[in-house]
Amino acid sequence: MADRHEQQWRDLLEQREATRGMLVAFEGPDGSGKSTQRKLFKTWLKSEGRDVVTTKWNSSPLIKPLVKVRKAVRALSPEEFCLLHAADFRHRLDTEVLPALWRGTTVVADRYLFTGLARDAARGLPFDWLLHVYEPVLWPDIVFHFSVSPETSGMRIAATREPTYYEAGQDVTGLDDPLVSYHKFISRVIQEYESLALAFRFVTIDAERSIDEQHREIRERFQQAERRPWSEWNLEPVVEWLAHHPDAPRRMRRTTTT
Amino acid sequence: MAAGRVTRGRLIAVDGSSGPIVAAAARTIGRALRSGNTDGGGGVSTWDSSGIFTDLAAAAADIPGPSARTLTLLYAADLAFRLRWQIGPAIEAGHSVVAAPYVESAKALGIAAGLPRRWLVELFRFAPKPDVCYHVNERGGRVARRATGGYLECFSNTLVASGVVVGLDALRKQSVDYLNSLEGRGRCSRLTADAVAALRRSARRP
Repeated sequence: MADRHEQQWRDLLEQREATRGMLVAFEGPDGSGKSTQRKLFKTWLKSEGRDVVTTKWNSSPLIKPLVKVRKAVRALSPEEFCLLHAADFRHRLDTEVLPALWRGTTVVADRYLFTGLARDAARGLPFDWLLHVYEPVLWPDIVFHFSVSPETSGMRIAATREPTYYEAGQDVTGLDDPLVSYHKFISRVIQEYESLALAFRFVTIDAERSIDEQHREIRERFQQAERRPWSEWNLEPVVEWLAHHPDAPRRMRRTTTT
Repeated sequence: MAAGRVTRGRLIAVDGSSGPIVAAAARTIGRALRSGNTDGGGGVSTWDSSGIFTDLAAAAADIPGPSARTLTLLYAADLAFRLRWQIGPAIEAGHSVVAAPYVESAKALGIAAGLPRRWLVELFRFAPKPDVCYHVNERGGRVARRATGGYLECFSNTLVASGVVVGLDALRKQSVDYLNSLEGRGRCSRLTADAVAALRRSARRP
């Protein structure tokens, strides 16, 4: 980060470290049961007296409607699909996630940027480019990765509904049958998740087990988890956001004026 | 050459520090290409062809606005749309296309708004290098008060509305500096009457 105030920013983040909220991400393929676990986890955190908010994938009130319309007409290329979801993610980071963390609220992310990385890599986009798209990365304190086989994922999804065109990856598989396409596409997505889990040290949860077993493990692993200090891990994304934030000292704000 | 094979068309990028001036330059080049070309050329690809920014402008006023980085991602998404549906097919069919603006305008604004140059370069890696790149800039402050019409104006107005203190004139000045630096490095040329005449001649068929 080329900023003459870097040490001052670092000091500011260190002062905030004790009171900032924790960022916990739930990741995994469709049908892995992560939303069920996320709800249980949030309820438990609240019962412990924590202030908690949830942020969901592709839910920015500004960007989501744009994406929805374009998905409906099935006109998105892999690059456009990726960039729109990245814009949605960045908007939520700037307007929901970082403000909540700064004021001390725990943020539980039902899918995080790793969803974009796994799906877009499965669509054939170069991984190094995808990482750049999501830079600067705000690293969560802990990432729970719900691991299931393609068969389990497909079975759970098919039990409730037919996968949508993009969920099934029909834009890249070229297959007419959504369930056949889903199985092929989710196998690739799961492979990408397995690689991400190793590279970024996710806490992998065996999501083939019972709901109760998984929930107990999540609680234990969360209680053992240590914060990732922002001044070491997240200086760039936090400073970029904070540079326009009223809590930042005026002399350190980044502005371009007429 | 094999019978029936189509010669690939050219991608002509026009970037600049003012939306209306970039649009006017694109129209001039488009006319020059058409005047010497019986097939009418591949036309002009403009920003917001996908309607992303139009949709964005229609969003409820109480929703917090996008940051410079989010706007740049949206510009890149719109460019991906233009490449897939306008620029790519026309070039493959052998037509020349004017992309106005293309990537350098977005990079210029991103840098002016404080985004890292390396991130901008990597983000737009998916866009093919143009065959020719021109830049156009308004003279003095003549157009500076006109705040509608192009990506720069949209970018600036959105950030001002979001409460980020970014002014159109400052953005424009820094954009001009960036585009001039590209010219200094031989990566972009200033659009002149001679350049337009050369494009007209090059579009003529034997």
